[in-house]
Amino acid sequence: MELMNNVKIKSKNLNVYYGEKQALFDVNLDLNEKEVTALIGPSGCGKSTFIRCINRMNDVIDICKVSGNIEIDGVEINDKNLDVVSLRERVGMVFQKPNPFPKSIYDNISYGPKIHGKGETKSELDEIVENSLKKAALWEEVKDRLDEPGTGLSGGQQQRLCIARAISVNPEVILMDEPCSALDPIATAKIEELIDELKKTYTIVIVTHSMAQAVRVSQKTGFFHLGKLIEVGKTEKIFKNPDNKMTQDYITGRFG
Amino acid sequence: MNFVLIFLITIFSLSLFFYGRSKTKSIAIEKNIKLNALPKFYGYYLVLWCSIPSLVFLLIWSLFEPVIVKSIIIETAANQGAIFNDKNEANLIYEKIKAIHLGTYFGDIDNILRESALAYAKFINLFTNSKVVLIFAIVIVSVIYSLKKINKNNKARDDVEIILKGLLFVSSLIAILTTLGIIFSLLFESIKFFSVINIFDYLFGTNWSPQRAFVRDASSITAAEFEELKDAFGFIPLIAGTTFIAFIAMLVAVPIGLFSGIYMAEYASLKIRRISKPIIEILAGIPTVVYGFFAALTVGPFFRQIGENFGLTVSSESALAAGLIMGIMIIPYVSSLSDDVINSVPQSLRDGSYAIGATKSETIKKVVIPAALPGIIGSILLAVSRAIGETMIVVMAAGLAANLTINPLESTTTITTQIVMILVGDQEFDSPKTQSAFALGLTLFIATLILNYIAQRAVKKYREKYD
Repeated sequence: MELMNNVKIKSKNLNVYYGEKQALFDVNLDLNEKEVTALIGPSGCGKSTFIRCINRMNDVIDICKVSGNIEIDGVEINDKNLDVVSLRERVGMVFQKPNPFPKSIYDNISYGPKIHGKGETKSELDEIVENSLKKAALWEEVKDRLDEPGTGLSGGQQQRLCIARAISVNPEVILMDEPCSALDPIATAKIEELIDELKKTYTIVIVTHSMAQAVRVSQKTGFFHLGKLIEVGKTEKIFKNPDNKMTQDYITGRFG
Repeated sequence: MNFVLIFLITIFSLSLFFYGRSKTKSIAIEKNIKLNALPKFYGYYLVLWCSIPSLVFLLIWSLFEPVIVKSIIIETAANQGAIFNDKNEANLIYEKIKAIHLGTYFGDIDNILRESALAYAKFINLFTNSKVVLIFAIVIVSVIYSLKKINKNNKARDDVEIILKGLLFVSSLIAILTTLGIIFSLLFESIKFFSVINIFDYLFGTNWSPQRAFVRDASSITAAEFEELKDAFGFIPLIAGTTFIAFIAMLVAVPIGLFSGIYMAEYASLKIRRISKPIIEILAGIPTVVYGFFAALTVGPFFRQIGENFGLTVSSESALAAGLIMGIMIIPYVSSLSDDVINSVPQSLRDGSYAIGATKSETIKKVVIPAALPGIIGSILLAVSRAIGETMIVVMAAGLAANLTINPLESTTTITTQIVMILVGDQEFDSPKTQSAFALGLTLFIATLILNYIAQRAVKKYREKYD
């Protein structure tokens, strides 16, 4: 049996409510360090809700209540006293639709470091911007037009810009919420390639609707249905020989 | 008489609707054919044919009848031996004749007047009778024509659509023509003004005292009078006062309006929003005259009192009081417009900023406001053009003397105030003083037009960004 990496994120009996409606039921899920975990399942099954618990983005929604535990490196993060700003510095996020700020490419990347007081001099900032763009495989395409607006890039470039923005504060975890659903196949291939590269440094959690993508990029897969984690395991096993009948039906396209 | 006619036409057309509808239904059944339109369209068709030609005719007739009757009567009176030297005297006699006919004339009635009044009565009778007859004729002809058309199972739907389109077109034409009419009347009166006063003397003069322009007749101004007038119409003190008061108003309205807009859009819970938004918008519903007397009777004296306590002389009609109240009046415009533009910044941008660890205020300051900036600037410009055009508050609270000053505690005046001052009371229409109001109006119109144009461009550009 292949050696599993250390557990980075651990959720225990996680329940999420949107007002009266319960969106997650007792989710227990371990995510391994420097590995890609894919979360699959039909729309509205709670996969996005789950990853939004990891960086406390659900705080933004007034009616959302989260109970249960999430630990990162053994430290409870679902705690009122936890500093959300430093949590989000450690846990970056990339959204479904590319959302670059209506600023220059340079300012898009330097935004995070400035907020967290990294890169005090111009040259330090320049270096962070260059490194982040290089890691996001965008540097070669934009290095001559860093002062042009980020919104002027193509969809795939915008998404890589958002990945670079997330990398810029040097996080430990990157959450990706269907990062390729608004992109064409070529841009998708580039992002997947990038994810493969990034997992050497970061712990990545990706929500996806594409089984093929889950197979291609992830080492571990979790299947959600109606707010419950139905099955979780090595990606190979989930797609070849799932234990649960429902998982089997979903990955073979019988529902969802 | 006209009302009776309109009433009759309306009743008749409405009954035709039901007639037309049931008639076509029965035709369809009788001849077993498929109608080219729903039965109600034939009803509409009859209604439109019955009412529009007759009403248009009535309108045209009513426009021309008084003119024609008047010229006939004046001529009759002249034939009777009435003597009048010019148009005004003729008009006077005509009014007398009319008054005699209505029984409201109490002067001496001589033979000429009596005869003319009888003639007037005769003509009015004749005209009314022929009007009624003609209208009935038109109604009958158009109804017969349209009934015939209906019998042929015509495409009533298409015709109704065309007529409705025509009606809508005429409505918008009226709106456009009125606007053009106002602009041209401004323009022509201003041209008359600028034919007396040099446009550069107007634009760059620093002295505004139009009361000096009580000359007898603009067409016969003597050289001495002209010299006197030359520097009476200097625009600079007015534009300075206007800008100054608008500036004070913006100092009040922009921060308060913008911050309350940000609070409403970003922080306020739904409950607070539901209560406070209408309250702020009530401010926009208060008539400006109420603001005006609040400024003149409460705020102005209050400032003077405070000034006295500090040993300052504060005019009870001060630019500060007027500007402050005007600013309060404008708050809801800035607030609700900036609330709207901030709300239309996509949530995904905020999420992007939060996700990287920015706090709420950092997100607002560095992402939301910059993204909404063009829209916010647009809303501020709209507020400025509102401040410049505002009249009532400044008339009541800012003072009347054109005072070139930058001391907010002194009284100053604005373009709109001066227009009001020039045009209230009895005026001679050919005096340069009266015409100067049109020149001021034109200048004001051009200024607000430019501001509105820039503002709308800014708002539009902003909208395109996220569409």
